[in-house]
Amino acid sequence: MRRRDLFRMGGLAALGAAGAACGSGGGGTGAAGSTELQFMYWGSTFEKAAIEKMLKAFEQKNPDIKVKPVFTPDEYDVKLNSLVAGGRTPDVGYVPMSMSFRLAEQGNLVNLHPYLQKYPQLAGYLPDAYLWYGQDKLHGVSTANEIELLWYSKSAIAAAGLAPPPAVAASAWSWDQLVENAYKLTVDQNGKHPDESGFDPGQVRQFGISISLTYAAAWYGFLRSNGADFADEAGRKCLLDTPESVQVFQNLQDLVYKHRVAPGPGQLAATGDDVPGTNILLKTKRVAMVVDGHWALLDMNESKVDYGIGVLPKYGEPFTTSQVAGASSVFAGTKHVEEAVELFAFHIDPRYVDLYKQGLWMPQERKYYEDQAAIDSWTKNDAHPPEFRTAVVDYGRDHGVPDLRNRVKNLSAISSDVLTPALQELESGKRPAAEILKAVTPKITGMLQGWQHTQEP
Amino acid sequence: MNKPGLSGQRRLERRWGVLMALPAILGFVIFTAGPMVASFVFSLTDWQVGGTPEFVGLGNYTELARDELFWTSLSATTYYTLGAVPLVLIVSFAVAMLLNQKVRGLPVWRTIFYLPTLVPAIANVVLWIWIFNPDFGLLNSLLRQAGLPAGQWIYDESMAIPSLIVMSTWGFGNTMVIFLAGLQGVPRHLYEAVSIDGGGAWRRFWHVTLPMMTPTIFYNLVVGVVGTFQVFNQAYVMTEGGPNNATLFYVYYLFRMAFRESEMGYASALAWVLFMIIVVITFLLFRNARRWVYYEMAGAR
Repeated sequence: MRRRDLFRMGGLAALGAAGAACGSGGGGTGAAGSTELQFMYWGSTFEKAAIEKMLKAFEQKNPDIKVKPVFTPDEYDVKLNSLVAGGRTPDVGYVPMSMSFRLAEQGNLVNLHPYLQKYPQLAGYLPDAYLWYGQDKLHGVSTANEIELLWYSKSAIAAAGLAPPPAVAASAWSWDQLVENAYKLTVDQNGKHPDESGFDPGQVRQFGISISLTYAAAWYGFLRSNGADFADEAGRKCLLDTPESVQVFQNLQDLVYKHRVAPGPGQLAATGDDVPGTNILLKTKRVAMVVDGHWALLDMNESKVDYGIGVLPKYGEPFTTSQVAGASSVFAGTKHVEEAVELFAFHIDPRYVDLYKQGLWMPQERKYYEDQAAIDSWTKNDAHPPEFRTAVVDYGRDHGVPDLRNRVKNLSAISSDVLTPALQELESGKRPAAEILKAVTPKITGMLQGWQHTQEP
Repeated sequence: MNKPGLSGQRRLERRWGVLMALPAILGFVIFTAGPMVASFVFSLTDWQVGGTPEFVGLGNYTELARDELFWTSLSATTYYTLGAVPLVLIVSFAVAMLLNQKVRGLPVWRTIFYLPTLVPAIANVVLWIWIFNPDFGLLNSLLRQAGLPAGQWIYDESMAIPSLIVMSTWGFGNTMVIFLAGLQGVPRHLYEAVSIDGGGAWRRFWHVTLPMMTPTIFYNLVVGVVGTFQVFNQAYVMTEGGPNNATLFYVYYLFRMAFRESEMGYASALAWVLFMIIVVITFLLFRNARRWVYYEMAGAR
């Protein structure tokens, strides 16, 4: 081929590329009157696929609206803060609880209270789902109801010859029963249990139980179950130094250092402080039982884990933390408020979204917990195991207490400055719970600003 | 005949000179000087991301003095600096001296010692997370096999910063190369003079190598101190400032205030205080250098 021919073909290719660019540019503009929205969210790769499917369903139902997904699996709060600072917020999306109330108070989120009439299903939510930031001021709802559960490996339980953790709240294990069973489930590389001589705590092959100490949703249910709480009725005085609170935290610390049935700091870590997902921990039998949120169900099924679901152990009345999710909100910077609210309502409506059937989300509307046909519409499928009805639906409805992040003002600063460091010290096992909590409680009291507003919708 | 003022040619050259330098000038003004001024203005405001800045004068600076975490982060960073800088200087100087010998395969050895520097920062951190893991990490595995006590390393309050200090030596390649260049600049005749007078290896090191290397040591010291005071990656990826704020390095705390707690005004004040601290330390280092840094050329300083 001669040089001149080569140049001529190159020129044709360039023209072709330019033409294609013009064509796609024209297509991007779309017909007159169409709307483009941005939906920003986080999640695993499985969740990403599920959300994109939901957004396509929305586009099919609303042909004039195009939705651009903005998937942000890491550093969501940092990115969202940058977008807020730059005045380039998305239209709709997840908002971390650590910043949603602040953004709302600054006027950066749409007040959704007026829209409850237009979207009656939004008015029939579980009371704790609403995120009020003042009288008749609603900045969003928890994206989904999520509760803390006791996930376990069926084969690990069977290998130890144990009965599975109870799936009915009335039969929930006591704390002592949890510890007793965790002993039987914990083995070192030589097959020894922690209560046997020769057990090597530095070489554990399978831990019996893993409950995060630094993740408040994991222990708040135990706190309430023992008759304690984070703060008093006014939300101004921290109560973590009461004997009931201290007992809970001491028991959690003892799992690691006294009973040695739970992993200490770093023992599960694969990348820094990030612990592998519960699906990985159970599948590899690194841990036999894990306290984790309901959202683990999607990854459990996708990873084909041989799992079971139990309710949390109890002290007195059984409790589990509920509404453990970020907020879903509409950003005030949107140029298309009506369409954005439409997408907001759609993305959490079980009639149109299959994330509920797939197991990632639980609905917020009361009827999906009370009406049998409605319950069946999202739970009667392969993604939901037989024990789901009692261990999750009934348990969440009857024994859920809302997560602290939805209820305590200024919790983000309290957590990062005071509470998390104290819990990390607790996790290190160097001082007993009573000492640590006695020192930290006055500091937290000094930062408390009361509970968030609540009202009827 | 000379015209008054610049000649046409000179004037033309000046205009073109400024024009050619304009990208660098604009880059500095827009991306460095401008943001610096802006951050100083912000440091005088109470400004949360998404809200309106409210002028508070020196309020952020007085609040900072009362902030327990400010002092914690300063303490953690100072501890890290005092440990990491001397260790890196000693290790890299020692290795540079080894690599300054006449041995077979020298380029290969120099390359091997430099390689860790090529590992990207985040990849380096993730690698060391695996090394420090209490259960299956490389470090504890080796210690157990040798019958020595294993540690919790970055997961233990008292061991976290020493662990990071040890980790910091791994990237000594750049410092080593600078030392190597300096060593190769030491005049051979000085070594010969010492040898003629009967001095051995130790005397050659103490009386020739070390004095002649003081300018290079000083340079690496200043660069090391300035760099370690801005340590961030380890806290960001590995420890998130934990456990119990043991590794709450200053810049990580600044980052957290700016982008997690959204306190831009306060974070800007933190940045300016760090700037002033580094300026003061550098000034003190330069003043102290007069007493121990030797320059061969008289009056050069």
